[in-house]
Amino acid sequence: MTRQSPKVGVYGFTGCAGDQLMILNCEDQLVDLFGATEIRSFLMAKSDNHEGELDVAFVEGSISTDHQEKKLKDIRARSKVLIAIGGCACVGGPQAMMVGDGKWEERFKKVYGNAKITVAKPNEAKPIDAIVKVDIYIPGCPIDKSEFLNAVSKLVAGKHPYLYQFPVCNECRWKENPCILYAGKFCGGPLTKAGCGAICPTLGLPCVGCWGPTDDLNVTSEYQLLKEKGYDPDEVMKKLRKFGGAKLAELVKDIEKKGAKA
Amino acid sequence: MKKMCVVLEDREIRDNPFTPDMFRIVRRYPLTNDVNFYQARPVDVEEALKFDYKPGQFVMMSLIGEGEAPFSLSSTPSRPGMLEFCIRNVGTLTSTLHGMKENETVGIRGPYGNGFPIDKMLGMDILIVAGGLGAAPLRSLLLYILDNRDQFGKLTYLHGARLPGEMLFREEFIQLKDREDLNCLLAVDKDDTGKWPYKVGVVTELFKDLGPVDGKNTFGVICGPPAMYRFVTPHLVKLGIPKHQILMTLERRMKCGVGKCGHCAIEYLYTCIDGPVFSYWDVLHMKEIIGRGVSDKTIA
Amino acid sequence: MMILKMKKEDLSTFLDAVKEWGELWGPTKKDGKVSFSKVDSLSQMDLKATRTIIPPKKFLYPPRFTMFDFDENGYVERTGDVPKRILFGIHPCDIHGVVIMDKLFLETYNDPYYRERREKTLLLGHSCIPDEKCMCIATDTDFIAEGFDLFFTDLKMSYLVWVGSTKGHDLIRMKPELFSRALDKSDILNYTAYRKWKNTQYKTMVDFTGMPDIFELGYSSQVWDKLGDKCLSCGQCSMVCPTCNCYNVVDDVELGSIEGTRDRFWDSCMFREYSLVAGGHNFREKRADRLRLWYTHKLQAYIGEFGKPACVGCGRCVATCPVDINVVTVADALKEQEVGK
Ligand SMILES: Cc1cc2nc3c(=O)[nH]c(=O)nc-3n(C[C@H](O)[C@H](O)[C@H](O)COP(=O)(O)OP(=O)(O)OC[C@H]3O[C@@H](n4cnc5c(N)ncnc54)[C@H](O)[C@@H]3O)c2cc1C
Ligand code: SF4
Ligand code: SF4
Ligand code: SF4
Ligand code: SF4
Ligand code: FES
Repeated sequence: MTRQSPKVGVYGFTGCAGDQLMILNCEDQLVDLFGATEIRSFLMAKSDNHEGELDVAFVEGSISTDHQEKKLKDIRARSKVLIAIGGCACVGGPQAMMVGDGKWEERFKKVYGNAKITVAKPNEAKPIDAIVKVDIYIPGCPIDKSEFLNAVSKLVAGKHPYLYQFPVCNECRWKENPCILYAGKFCGGPLTKAGCGAICPTLGLPCVGCWGPTDDLNVTSEYQLLKEKGYDPDEVMKKLRKFGGAKLAELVKDIEKKGAKA
Repeated sequence: MKKMCVVLEDREIRDNPFTPDMFRIVRRYPLTNDVNFYQARPVDVEEALKFDYKPGQFVMMSLIGEGEAPFSLSSTPSRPGMLEFCIRNVGTLTSTLHGMKENETVGIRGPYGNGFPIDKMLGMDILIVAGGLGAAPLRSLLLYILDNRDQFGKLTYLHGARLPGEMLFREEFIQLKDREDLNCLLAVDKDDTGKWPYKVGVVTELFKDLGPVDGKNTFGVICGPPAMYRFVTPHLVKLGIPKHQILMTLERRMKCGVGKCGHCAIEYLYTCIDGPVFSYWDVLHMKEIIGRGVSDKTIA
Repeated sequence: MMILKMKKEDLSTFLDAVKEWGELWGPTKKDGKVSFSKVDSLSQMDLKATRTIIPPKKFLYPPRFTMFDFDENGYVERTGDVPKRILFGIHPCDIHGVVIMDKLFLETYNDPYYRERREKTLLLGHSCIPDEKCMCIATDTDFIAEGFDLFFTDLKMSYLVWVGSTKGHDLIRMKPELFSRALDKSDILNYTAYRKWKNTQYKTMVDFTGMPDIFELGYSSQVWDKLGDKCLSCGQCSMVCPTCNCYNVVDDVELGSIEGTRDRFWDSCMFREYSLVAGGHNFREKRADRLRLWYTHKLQAYIGEFGKPACVGCGRCVATCPVDINVVTVADALKEQEVGK
């Protein structure tokens, strides 16, 4: 990382492009952002794109074709720092919620029938770190403007971004919300990384996990708790699966196994 | 009640213990492939001689925009004016620091921690055992004792490293081997150069070359990676050094250095204030630590 | 200490008058959310609300605030922009909590950020009626003799007002005509009756005697592992506890520059990242170890040093932990060597 205008690329794979939009939405700071960096490639924002060596590459979306896989590897190879932005890139997003259930082909058939896809060979959607090494994760669905700008500002200054590692509950408490989970209803706060400012519980809605799972989640205990509170185990499992895609699906699988044994 | 009134009414301007002072890096060179040596002096030169400290103390070092981390002082207060550090590149702050050049500035506040109990060590024999980065605080103690040599008894310095190239201050210590008033013994686990003239073997091998030790009148001081404590303490105990005269430094995550942030807690002790120097006796009473590094079979 | 008497209906007038000194804050209840909020007058407060979700520590030590502004020349302390506040309606347990925080932040290396807020915040306590989660009687924090500026005890017809500091006295002098020194026998009888009555209101019975020893004996108890299996590491217990002080520090820079701020924010030893050190080594990787540290701090360490627990019996952990880990269940589990339910 250099202190003089790092070369930046912004790329999107499978996703809604909501995170790239969020970057473009940083109106007040957009000029600064373009001023402080040398944006080499950003398809959504400009047309004269150059694909060469990069200091920082932002990658949005999950990877669902072999063509994407190749392109991602190419980006990795020419970037000093690769940053996953948004839930899809970080953990696979909703596309990956069933990962690991072994039924991907069945579902694919349901949606696309027997149609032959010829443009590119489709695969099960994966988070980008299933394919390349990711240096920094900026989660969210979509990402939070200030969390993103914060991280970028640090990168531009040649420093390491800091993102909250603790769960949504912490920020939720800072906002003094009554706890939904304590009241016996589903809330994914304890399993989800903070950074969003606990928007949903602040509005009285349960957290559905946009920021992806924390590194230290106790999903077994939350599962047990919700069962005790009278939830149907299948429903809990569905809610948990919707969360954090591939990464959480793995953990949930374990509980199911343990549950089956018990 | 009275006390509270005093607190509330006292409106003088007070120092902020969290404010770093700016220091300039005046020298910087690599000691090994991931450890750099740094010499720093206050930007405000008038302040240079005012920074007093004890061997074994540490400072909180700030890099603008990167944050703060604790580092042991590696220099001795008996040679004032310049602070010295050896710093391993392990993470965010340390990697940025390794990328910095001479003449750039860092923030420093401190010194913090208890440091070595020099008062109690006066007149005693001193046996220092250093491993890896543990040489950082121990170099401070060693140089301090050498500068005040007549105030201490017999002085022994044992230092182990994995490879010759990984021994911090290698040349400096090799030179010290010539001194009459210091028994300096160096060892490497493996000699990949084929040119290492001293001991090849783990640091505990050096205990064979010690000669007679008057345990009761000796302070043993250990600093190094956790595994080293496990292997070295039994040797010191066997030499007859009482547990409260075996000193070691402990490392914890630190966010304040002054007993406020809680991060460095070991049960009810704060490493930043109550440590980082503890005696073996203290450590044996910390349940959190026993079984993880140091253990003592002699205690029933 | 001086004790004065005030007619109940005069409280509103008094609070209107003291607003001249600073912002008026008090307990409010909105959509099930009980918190200290800024108010215009007594009528907006809910003095019956037992406990706010977050204790008054948020005023003395906000969840996230800026310590320094920095540029390449160094760090400039950010103080001086704290408003003067009058906090009305703080209960004895929370004042005890503040007294413990005072010890932590104002003794040895006193913290200028805490100190500034402490100086600019007046604490006007108010008597309370314990609910089913309160246990201040077990922690000896059901009454308070220090740490506040004024304390109002509600005796139905009138208030007895304890004057706890010279600043509190200054407030009285803003409306001296509302207060009387003439306390009579009936006041004394009413007050003792109130204390007796309060003692009978507790529903949570917990016995903390011998806790330090029980902790020592139960250090390797399996109870910790069982509790660790339940704990969600959500950290809520630390956020709501009036005597949790842990924090983390982070530097932020402005886009395209090296200028920025150093912020401090609430942290919890229940988080994994909290105890990580170089090399990725973690001294408290297991949740059981983290829980043990938390409860050692509340029920063992402080007793050893100051003769009483660092728990002030406010009941917030009881009203917060989704999986029922709190001082009551932990103390019981350690004594019985079994996790309840
Ligand atoms: C009293 C004392 C004295 C010290 N003296 C010295 C000295 O003289 N020289 C010296 O080199 N060091 C010394 N240290 C250690 C030094 O403080 C640390 O190496 C330093 O804080 C590392 O900072 P960093 O920002 O570079 O590393 P960080 O980026 O904070 O990372 C440190 C380590 O923690 C891990 N880590 C951090 N965050 C996470 C996470 N979220 N998930 C997983 N892993 C994580 C990383 O793997 C890394 O190995 C001392 C420490 C203490 C307490
Ligand atoms: S409402 Fe949800 S996010 Fe908030 S504290 Fe409760 S569980 Fe955590
Ligand atoms: S609270 Fe949960 S669901 Fe709501 S924005 Fe944050 S991460 Fe997403
Ligand atoms: S004890 Fe309860 S409140 Fe505390 S971290 Fe564990 S689950 Fe959360
Ligand atoms: S431990 Fe629980 S009851 Fe005790 S002070 Fe903290 S939150 Fe209140
Ligand atoms: S480093 Fe903050 S309490 Fe020790």
